Amino acid sequence: MLFRPIPPAPGPAASLRGHTLDVLGLGVRYGAFTALDAVDLSVQAGEVLALLGPSGCGKTTLLRTVAGFVRQDAGQVLIDGAAIDDLPPNRRRVGIVFQNYALFPHMSVAENVAYGLRARGEPRARIGPRVAELLEMVQLGPLRDRRPGQLSGGQQQRVALARALAIEPSILLLDEPFAALDRSLRLDMQIEIKRLQRQLGLTAILVTHDQDEAMSVADRIAVMRRGRIEQLGTPVEIYDAPQSLFVAGFIGTTNRLPCIVEGAADGMVALRLGDGTALTLPGESPPGPALLTVRPEQLVLHESPGPGRFPVALGLALPLGGQAIREARLADGTALRLTEPRLGAIRALGERAHCGLAPGARPALFPRPDPEED
Amino acid sequence: MRMARRRNASEISYGLVMGGLAVLALLILVGPVLVVLATSFTDSRSIRFPPEGFSIRWYALLLDAGRSRQIHRAAGNTLQVALVSAGLATLLGTAAALGLSRLAGRAGRAADAFLMSPLVLPGLAFGLAALMYFTLLGFRPSLELIIAGHLVVVAPFVLRTVGASLSQLDPALLDASLSLGASPLHGFRRITLPLIAPGIAAGAFLAFMASVDNVPVSLFLSSARTDMLPIRMWGMMESTLDVRVAAVSGTLVLAAFLLMLVMERFTGLTRRMRG
Repeated sequence: MLFRPIPPAPGPAASLRGHTLDVLGLGVRYGAFTALDAVDLSVQAGEVLALLGPSGCGKTTLLRTVAGFVRQDAGQVLIDGAAIDDLPPNRRRVGIVFQNYALFPHMSVAENVAYGLRARGEPRARIGPRVAELLEMVQLGPLRDRRPGQLSGGQQQRVALARALAIEPSILLLDEPFAALDRSLRLDMQIEIKRLQRQLGLTAILVTHDQDEAMSVADRIAVMRRGRIEQLGTPVEIYDAPQSLFVAGFIGTTNRLPCIVEGAADGMVALRLGDGTALTLPGESPPGPALLTVRPEQLVLHESPGPGRFPVALGLALPLGGQAIREARLADGTALRLTEPRLGAIRALGERAHCGLAPGARPALFPRPDPEED
Repeated sequence: MRMARRRNASEISYGLVMGGLAVLALLILVGPVLVVLATSFTDSRSIRFPPEGFSIRWYALLLDAGRSRQIHRAAGNTLQVALVSAGLATLLGTAAALGLSRLAGRAGRAADAFLMSPLVLPGLAFGLAALMYFTLLGFRPSLELIIAGHLVVVAPFVLRTVGASLSQLDPALLDASLSLGASPLHGFRRITLPLIAPGIAAGAFLAFMASVDNVPVSLFLSSARTDMLPIRMWGMMESTLDVRVAAVSGTLVLAAFLLMLVMERFTGLTRRMRG
């Protein structure tokens, strides 16, 4: 062995104690391109944190830096408070489930799972039972002698997961693990991974560009953009209180209504929409042009006009299970999408209706990016 | 019951033309080999087609240690040179391919083109250059020099096949190996090497065959003492139209065919192992 063997794995009881991950002022540059720009992040023990963002936002670079494949230009990565920056990837004990699973094609399922244990020189007598236990955990016992090429996508992912968990990693990194799966299988695997993560008390980082995936699996979400973390919070916080237009647009469906803020007092904002409708909302905003971002479920259709309601021309209604998605258009041409709860048939409305905010809805208000525009 | 698919006229004529071309190509490529094989079993005293009668006397004569001593020595030399040069080419070519796979950009392409250049360089030019160079350095003709010359010419085959295998290798596999706590050396032995093994085997096979077959380099570097089989065969043809040349050819064809079978079995096996 060229390298000092990794210390023996703690027993199952010890692995229940999750590990913390801290990223301090991490910076990575590729030539003139800044992939990570002074990123700070703390992942708590036993937490699943999603790195969410469009491609090129730095989420994969952050993951690869934590894994040790990319050397940072600035900052530190700490596991349980100890810097791991000088450790090569094979000494970090960071488990990874790769996007394409990266299973070893010339080895059987069992050999794949045993790889990490063999590499660190575990005695044969310990490897066998441990592999059996892991395969049992991901329900692949009967397929132990198959090659990866003979497995379905979901089965391959289970192997990848079992292989990563075999070395009892302190941190589990999931690199777009569901991207290659069918939609129906995706939810099953998300539940499965969440179940195992809870059961083992694992600290995990999930890299994804799929907001639904981040919302359903993660305890907290870091929305990334241009090498920085734009917002960090629980899925509910990110969804209900986006702190920037980018986050509001990236997470969920958002309607953007141009408006003018006319005044703010006592935590309430008075604003006027493009067609002259006056609205009063809780919140704070400097006066001037602004954008009101409203979620589809924060809008309600009425048949009659009223205060805070604005007329809309109705378009298509698409039934989606228990809800219907309705398209509508404001007098000034702004397109809207709203959801209506549906019991029985889709509500038959005429071509025109009046739209208002749902009671208790708190849409987010942002200064308009281009004030020249009306 | 499924309805038989109806074929239209254009599909039939396409099949006829393609089939005809395939048969023609097969005749042109394999035909001469069959002619040589048939001739080697002739009962006549000279190389002539169609053969007269059937006998294995030329094979018997070829195997006669006393009367075919020169052929045996040439065959021994050729085999020795081919084994050593193909072996060295496999080691060096694989190492070069591994190095080149990590060398990105212009430097990598330049090094690749340089190492591959013996394939495009005319063999005769290289043979002459090697002879002049070795003479200048004061070396006497020897098998070692022929091995060195062959090594330059056959190593590109290994470089190419191993390079192709490496480009198929998913780099994420080695990342996965590292993340599982395996040292780079362990990953190389357990992941890289098994996955490029078919490429290494194919390269070794091609290098071996190219060395056995090589005329231009051997022509310049061999001497009476270090006679090589293709050169000897040519000499025999020139002087006497010796039918043993056909028998040697027949033996070479058979050996190549058997080697091909072994290779197919070996790489076929690995392909199955790759899943």
